[in-house]
Amino acid sequence: MADLLPEHPEFLWRNPDPKKSYDAVIVGGGGHGLATAYFLAKNHGMTNIAILEKGWLAGGNMARNTTIIRSNYLWDESAAIYEHALKLWEILPEELEYDFLFSQRGVMNLAHTLGDVRESMRRVGANKLNGVDAEWLDPQQVKELCPILNINDNIRYPVMGATYQPRAGIAKHDHVAWAFARKCDELGVDIIQNCEVTGFVKDGNRVTGVKTNRGTINTEKVGLCAAGHSSVLAEMAGFRLPIQSHPLQALVSELHEPVHPTVVMSNHVHVYVSQAHKGELVMGAGVDSYNGYGQRGSFHVIEHQMAAAVELFPIFARAHVLRTWGGIVDTTLDASPIVGTTPVENMFVNCGWGTGGFKGTPAAGLTFAHTIATGTPHELNKPFALERFETGALIDEHGAAAVAH
Amino acid sequence: MAKTAALTGVNGLRDIRRSPASHLAEALDAGSVRGQVVLNEGPFQTMAGVRVDPRSEGGSRIAAVTGGLPVRCGEVTGTDSISVLWLGPSEFLVVAPEAAHDSLGGTLIGSLVEALGDAPGQVVDLSANRTTFELSGPQARAVLEKGCALDLHPRSFTPGTALNTEVGNIPVVLEKTGEESFRLFPRASFADFLGRWLLDAMREYGSPEVP
Amino acid sequence: MLLISCPNCGSRDETEFHYGGQAHVAYPENPNELNDREWAEFLFYRDNTKGAFAERWLHSTGCRQWFNMLRDTVTYDIQAVYPMGAARPDKSAPAPESGTASTAPDSTTTGTAAPSIAATSTATSTAPASATAPEGATK
Ligand SMILES: Cc1cc2nc3c(=O)[nH]c(=O)nc-3n(C[C@H](O)[C@H](O)[C@H](O)COP(=O)(O)OP(=O)(O)OC[C@H]3O[C@@H](n4cnc5c(N)ncnc54)[C@H](O)[C@@H]3O)c2cc1C
Ligand SMILES: [Zn+2]
Repeated sequence: MADLLPEHPEFLWRNPDPKKSYDAVIVGGGGHGLATAYFLAKNHGMTNIAILEKGWLAGGNMARNTTIIRSNYLWDESAAIYEHALKLWEILPEELEYDFLFSQRGVMNLAHTLGDVRESMRRVGANKLNGVDAEWLDPQQVKELCPILNINDNIRYPVMGATYQPRAGIAKHDHVAWAFARKCDELGVDIIQNCEVTGFVKDGNRVTGVKTNRGTINTEKVGLCAAGHSSVLAEMAGFRLPIQSHPLQALVSELHEPVHPTVVMSNHVHVYVSQAHKGELVMGAGVDSYNGYGQRGSFHVIEHQMAAAVELFPIFARAHVLRTWGGIVDTTLDASPIVGTTPVENMFVNCGWGTGGFKGTPAAGLTFAHTIATGTPHELNKPFALERFETGALIDEHGAAAVAH
Repeated sequence: MAKTAALTGVNGLRDIRRSPASHLAEALDAGSVRGQVVLNEGPFQTMAGVRVDPRSEGGSRIAAVTGGLPVRCGEVTGTDSISVLWLGPSEFLVVAPEAAHDSLGGTLIGSLVEALGDAPGQVVDLSANRTTFELSGPQARAVLEKGCALDLHPRSFTPGTALNTEVGNIPVVLEKTGEESFRLFPRASFADFLGRWLLDAMREYGSPEVP
Repeated sequence: MLLISCPNCGSRDETEFHYGGQAHVAYPENPNELNDREWAEFLFYRDNTKGAFAERWLHSTGCRQWFNMLRDTVTYDIQAVYPMGAARPDKSAPAPESGTASTAPDSTTTGTAAPSIAATSTATSTAPASATAPEGATK
């Protein structure tokens, strides 16, 4: 913390005009779109491809998330894909030749009730069986790892312990985006900003092009990576997604000396906190209840999360909020993503990562690229198909993902 | 401790009954600022939750017992000893002194049940569901305004009205009983929190005003 | 913070309400005849409109009644408040009422007649009473 940020080059990618046609077009230039293009180029040799971004590169949720990375999910399918992502995070700084400050400072999930304790211990057991590093900490051990946490039992929801994943942590989200963007560019991928997809060209049920505010672009394949706008794009293409878009808010304090060495999350009192490299406290909570595309939410949600934070970290009572913001997250009813094929031929979708897709970025990119390139899902994303809402094979991660992260 | 036979109640339970904020009694007294704002927990009340379509025959029969049913949000009807608070278009809270309870020799709950008869709806004895805080004094409104988003200005919130809302983030029925007096009805489990919240909100009025 | 006009109680803070998702989703008329796809649609698929969206809200700390609301999901502007069972009031959109909720009475309380957002805490109108919960009012 309070480290010097690494220098980054002045020039990271070109700003090309769109070509007439591509082998594949990725809609959405957030983390997932960038990672998908990178793996399409690197693993599948598809370099005649473009990322179309309606705003500026990584200005959506990629710029707005609280950067928590962990893989301690309950179910096998989730543990597999998120743990794969974590392993990729561990090698990506070197592979992308960019130190994006991936800091494995550990993540704690606090337990405040007997129900929490049981759920947490069950999750620790499940994690271990899946090769995910996980421990159960008693309140004293919690205090040793994070001395500013209030573990007194006279608070409304006392800390009764925590799960701990030592390899989890945070990374600098903008730098992650820039790292992928630079490599994509080097590999020949066209990153086209200010290019909004407004419709699709289809031949029967097969997509053959995208309509944009910068003209129509022909393409063999389309991959949707539009996070909060996935339903809007699916509707343009003529199919439905079981997605609801909600505002999700976060906030930062002004800069402080290093006081918070790890990442603390509490599903029960609804807050999660880390201290960014520069020194600001970064906090978030749950989604706003209503559907929203406004990139802003209601203030009482912020108030509630700060009340929870001050109870857990009494010294925060003296900190000041510097700014708050919101993103648009794409939630599913089982709190798991959708990565796979769609009812439209040659169109693929990666969405539904909701409040927790930053950590999944590398695995989303890897598996989605595989799906687009080969037309069939990778082993890791097979269970996350759209069809699961029909077959009933849901992956209900509300226990491990109930709070945004 | 002399008690009337009636107040001895069912199996003597009345004697051991404690009100939800009784443990705060001293604190409420000490935290009250005479001449500014005073807080205490009111006596036990008989309370009944009534759900009935006020325009139905069942509704008319209930109204005959309670002295009318309020027809809109905020309205309170009743008699000298009974208040009927509007909770919803077909939901009401009947509040009366403790002695009106059937277990203590009164007839309120029984008469309501009888009045409803077979009509669609319900009468539920809720006497132990909520407690009553009485808050009064020239600063009472200012105290409430710290945690209640409603317009409590007298031009909008007048004596003899009651609203179902939130104070200090918890659900309460807030009744305005006089120009400077209020009753708050929190559910029993929130009594401790609301009592302490109100005390905290009252504290500043114990210090000299900063010009 | 949304300021929501409850048809019964008038203007109140959003914290007094509970969100109920898309309005006008009818329970299947013949559940036994539904195939997996149709069940999936009923259980997991809801519109996710960008723009004017008809949704249900419950005034949970107030009158405990459900109502419908037309709200812009981008600006968060509340365009209309109308009773459960009534058809969606905006003219352009032919209410996607695939057999909604109830026998939809021709309600007099349409969106435009919703209580104003003015700073009154009590409703000015005399709301129609209903002893029975509106159909489709469970979440
Ligand atoms: C406040 C907040 C906190 C979060 N905290 C965490 C966390 O701690 N850990 C974690 O793992 N996850 C977290 N998340 C979730 C995570 O940010 C998202 O799941 C993830 O960023 C989504 O993938 P993305 O980066 O591709 O999305 P985005 O960056 O949103 O990318 C989607 C892009 O698509 C573009 N687009 C949309 N429509 C069109 C169109 N028609 N044409 C062209 N482009 C279009 C958008 O402009 C946008 O840039 C958080 C999210 C928020 C909002
Ligand atoms: Zn209401």
